[in-house]
Parts: sequence; structure tokens; C-alpha cells
Amino acid sequence: MSSWVGQAIRRGRLTTRYPAEPATELELPMLARAPRPPAVVPDRLGAIAACPVAALSAAGGSGIRADEGRCIRCARCAAHGFDFSGSAECSRPDRAGLLVPPVPSGPGARAVPLRQLGRSVHVFLVDAGSCNACNHEVLALTNPYYDAQRLGIFFTNSPRHADVLLVVGVPTAEMTEPVRRAFEALPSPKAVVAVGVCPIGGGVFQSTPGLAGSLEELVPVDAFVPGCPPAPVSVLDAILGLLGRSRARTEG
Amino acid sequence: MTSRPWSESLRGPAGALGTEHAPAYLPIDRAFALVNDYGTGRALLWRGPAPAEANEVATLWRRAAEAPRPHRVAPEEVVEGYGVFTFPYGPISMGVPESGRFDVRTYGERILTLGPVAGFKSRRILGALPGLTPEDALLRVERLAGNFSAAHAAAFLAAVESAAAIEVARTELWTRALAQELERIYNHLHQIARVAEAASQNVGLAQTHALAEEMLRIEGRTFGHRWLFGALAPGAPTRRLDPEGRRWLGRALRELSGRFEVLLELFLGSRTFVDRLQTTGVVSRERAVRWGAVGPVLRATGVAWDDRLRAPSVPYTDLFLELPREDGGDALARILVRAHEVRSSALLLEQLLDRWPGDAMAREAPAPPVGPGRGLGRVESPSGDLVYEVRLTNGRIASVGMRSASHANWPVFAESLRHAVFTDFHFAWESFGLVFAETDA
Ligand code: SF4
Ligand code: SF4
Repeated sequence: MSSWVGQAIRRGRLTTRYPAEPATELELPMLARAPRPPAVVPDRLGAIAACPVAALSAAGGSGIRADEGRCIRCARCAAHGFDFSGSAECSRPDRAGLLVPPVPSGPGARAVPLRQLGRSVHVFLVDAGSCNACNHEVLALTNPYYDAQRLGIFFTNSPRHADVLLVVGVPTAEMTEPVRRAFEALPSPKAVVAVGVCPIGGGVFQSTPGLAGSLEELVPVDAFVPGCPPAPVSVLDAILGLLGRSRARTEG
Repeated sequence: MTSRPWSESLRGPAGALGTEHAPAYLPIDRAFALVNDYGTGRALLWRGPAPAEANEVATLWRRAAEAPRPHRVAPEEVVEGYGVFTFPYGPISMGVPESGRFDVRTYGERILTLGPVAGFKSRRILGALPGLTPEDALLRVERLAGNFSAAHAAAFLAAVESAAAIEVARTELWTRALAQELERIYNHLHQIARVAEAASQNVGLAQTHALAEEMLRIEGRTFGHRWLFGALAPGAPTRRLDPEGRRWLGRALRELSGRFEVLLELFLGSRTFVDRLQTTGVVSRERAVRWGAVGPVLRATGVAWDDRLRAPSVPYTDLFLELPREDGGDALARILVRAHEVRSSALLLEQLLDRWPGDAMAREAPAPPVGPGRGLGRVESPSGDLVYEVRLTNGRIASVGMRSASHANWPVFAESLRHAVFTDFHFAWESFGLVFAETDA
């Protein structure tokens, strides 16, 4: 039998069990996870200097603090004993939350900005200057493996019909205004998710003149998803987090 | 309706190519560069002597990098007439997930002319590379166009190694080819899925989109990264592919190609799908050759040009490559070329895995430099010919020039939609596989 329906039936269920079950190895390959320092870093200064984006800094005692919001997952710190063991639930409601170990931060962010939306949410993707990998990872949420619709997440074609703005890429000078306008177009209540280290703090482009330092300078941000790019499961978790349905929160 | 012809500006040396009897391939002994300079109202098509003698290449590339942002990347033609207006589509638009604008001249029914405007995502990447070590520059080059990262990394590294006369481990060259072919399959599947979406072929979309996701998982399992960042390195590989990993990869790819064959048959059996693509976004062979189109766009007009054959490097010199070619020049032909390239890349991958170099120490000489401290790297990216020119001083980057497949294909893309209806736009867009991120480097 050769028909579309037959083909689809033969393939059976592809959809991930996430978030009911944790993300698998295939859904979260090594460099989709954040690096974690070993208990003791033999050459602390060497490790800090090895990071090309200054994501590592000295923490109290002989520790190292990693800023997940900067880490581009280049794996150079692996030579200093770091291993990539971060979890899929890596998004945080505030920028300071991306520091591991954390530093005491100011007033807390809106932890669950869209709780009142309940079961369904409409999202709109904006590319502020991405390399395209983040765009593809976000759009992957519509493929049968992630099937975001089953969780009540729908992609819309207009910011006017959206509750959530997903922003990918480092905001360029040329995209500053379009991003602001897209944000204005969203009806309230609304939330903004910075997907990937580019909108969080510029990622590998952080020191280039002519680029906005971060998305926060343009619009208020409700969730920060680190990664370069983040795995689709992490983006999924961030969107669910806005509704109070994050796997991390359900468990904790 | 009056129309100001602009084509005069394109008649450079390349205009000498016969219109009737275009050669079946572009001559390899002449490096060529197409630079879009439409922002300033000029178009330069340059096919000169080998870049060893021509400093113009770097000059032209630099001028392209300095073009005002945002700027048009296809020829400007001013069409006037009763009721004709310009409709700006973008930079944030539905349908095109990247940021870029299309200035559509129309009187409400048909696209009279289409002017792609790029530069919204200019991340000033190439300009920020001088002074960096090649390793640090590579981190940015990989992130220039994430879905083509292996191609960009491979071309950049080849240029660096040629400039610095670094011998390269044979295993690294094999890894580069492997990464590039995996990336090619992913991108072709992605593009086919997007065309299926445009055609409302929903089951086909879901099934092909699933295969694309499987490719990303295969890449993730093999290289630790779904987009192959960090997979390639100058000189020697950072990551060893062990025999067990290679066997797993071979199995996974065989299974995936089997499933793709079934899908392809279903797509081609669908009259509505085929009809919708046929005669949509047509590029003639003459125009493709004359305007310097590359990749599947060029091969879909019957021209068998592919860097893997015409400018081959190790290991492509040792592999059998089946080069798909179609004659229609339309969206269907481009999609067929992509579909058949999924097959030919799978065949290449099989050969790569079969003949994985056993001698871990074996090294290959790099291409000779094209000038003191100057190297050229050239690969066939999923969308076509990609060229890097790198200059080094004291082991650090002095300058980097890049000409991507997107640079080359913008003009024919814009032209293919002249007098088309609006609904043709997405079919043409998705079958061309243009990437704003490449132009906005
Ligand atoms: S993976 Fe790279 S960017 Fe991230 S902390 Fe380690 S060295 Fe820094
Ligand atoms: S975060 Fe990384 S993957 Fe995402 S757009 Fe930026 S460079 Fe690309």
C-alpha cells in the first residue's frame, strides 16, 4: 500500500513523551546541555581564560561561576574537566538566574506571567538577527516529534494574534524598531522569550559594535532560554513555564 | 506601463557567454565572483582571471560588505503605470521565518517586480574577524548561517589552511565531507518540507519534517551538536568518530533514505503537488548561467555544475558522485534536484563510512596559497558554490571575504517571480533555499 495515510500509520507514534518524561539523549545531545565544572578545577585561571565569551568567572572559595546566558557551548572548557550535564529545563525568568552557582539577585521577576491563559497559547517568532539555527529549532516544535499543538501551543502568522513573542538572534541596529513594533502589536497579557544566547547577551557576537547588547534593552523579557541554539525541548519548556506548566516546576 | 531596462549594467565579460549554447559547466580555471552592488544602483558580474592575479576579488567583496544596510540584493527596475504601487513585505513577515524585506511592485494582482532587501540581520561578522585567531574566528563563521555551518566552516578552514600552509589530517577531511553531506541532506529535506507546507500537502509536510528532525538527531548523536558547531577544526579533528559510531550512523542513514524514497514516490504521485510546482518561478538556463546562479538552482536548469565535481578536494576526488540535473528550471525541477541529491549524498556518506581512513596520522597537503598569506576555500554548500578568501598575518586573521550561494542567487530569484501571482512567492522562495543570514554577514 502506498498512500500518505498508510505511510503515516506505518511510522506510528513519533511524538516525544516530554514533558511527562525527561528529555532523552537524542533530544538533548551533549552540546544542547550547559557545562558544569568538576568538583575541583585543577587550573582555575586557565579554565576561565579558555572560555572565548567570558562565560566563566571566579566564584567564592576555589569555585567557578558559569554564566549560561553567555555560554556558546564551544566545549573548550571540556579540557579542564567540565562536563555537559545541564538539563532541558534551563530557562529562567530573570537574567541573573542563568548564573551557576547563583548570585543573590534583586526583586524577583514575574514567574508565571501568563498563568491566566491556562491551556492554550499562541506564539509568534521574530528573528532579530539570528544565524538561522535558532529559527529552525523553534520551527521544529511543529514537527511530529515535538508536536507543540498537543500541548496547546500554536504558531500564529501575526503578532496581533499572539500571546508570546519568541525572539531569536542578536538584535541588530536594523531590527531594533521592527522588534519593538512587533512587541507593541501583541495584545496584553503578553510575554517575551529570548531564545538562545544571542538575544540574551549577544552570544559569540557580544562585543561587535553596531549590535544591541541584549534584547532586554529593547523590550521586557519574561524568559531566558540559554543555548546556542537551545534544543527544541528547552524552548518547549520555556513556553510551558510562562503558563506555570514547566516540567521543572511540576516536579519541584 | 513603461519599463526601464537595466540589463545593460550586467553585460560584463560574462555577457560573452553564448545565449543559445551555454556551456554545460562554468569553467573551473576562472575563479568568479558575483557581487551584488544593487544598493548603489550598480550590478557587477565579475568573472575574471584567477584571483591570484586579481586583487579585484577582495575589493569587490569588501564593497559588498560595505553596502548600505538594508540594501537591495537584486536589480532595480522601476515600473510605472496606472495603479502601480510598492507593497513592502517584511522585514518581519509570516511565511518567511527570517528577517528580510521584499519590495513588491504590483497593481494588485500580479507581481510586476520583486526587490529583495537584505541587511536587516547584519551582524557585522566578517568585519569583526581581523585580529582573531583562526580558531576564534571559526566560532563566528560557524554561526554565520547556522543551517549551513559545516559548509561555511569547511570553506573557511580550507582557506586558512591554504593561507598558512597547514597540512590537514586525512580523518579531518573525511569528517568535513561527512558533516557537509549530513547538512546537505537536512537542508534539502527541510526545503522539501517547506514546499509541501506551501502546497498544503499536510501529511507530506509532517512526514518530511519528521525526517529532517531525524537528520538533526543523527548529527547531534554523531557530533554532539545538532547544527554541527564545533564539529570541524583546523588541521586535525577534535572529535574522533569511533567504529561503533560509524556503524550506527550508517544504519541510521540507510533507514532514513529508505523512508525518504517512499515519501518521494508519494510526492511525485500527487498531481496537485506536481502541478502546483510546475512552471512556478522559472529560471531559464541562459539566465542562470549568465547571472551566475549556483547550486540546485543552476542544476535545475540543466547545467551540471557542482564544486564537488568541478573544484573537488580530498576526499571528493576519490568518491563516486551522482550529480542530479533537471531541465525545467522551475520550482519542481529545483525540488527534484534536491530530492535526488538526498539520494546522492546518502551514497557519498556510505562511501565515506566504508573507506574511513585507517591511518590516523596520514596528512594531506593544503591547496597552494593564492598569494603571500592568502588562501581560497571553495565548497558546494547545500544551496551552491561558497567561496572564502582569507588573509593571515602572523597567524591571525587579517581579512576575510566571503561569497555565498545566496549572494549569487538573489538576482535570478527576483527575476523568476516577475509577472507571477502572489501565491507563487512561497513556492519559489522555498525551492531556492536562500538564506538572509548569509547575505547579512
Ligand atoms: S562551553 Fe565554551 S562558552 Fe561555554 S563555558 Fe565552556 S568554554 Fe565558555
Ligand atoms: S544563539 Fe547561537 S544558534 Fe542561536 S542564533 Fe545565536 S548564534 Fe545562532
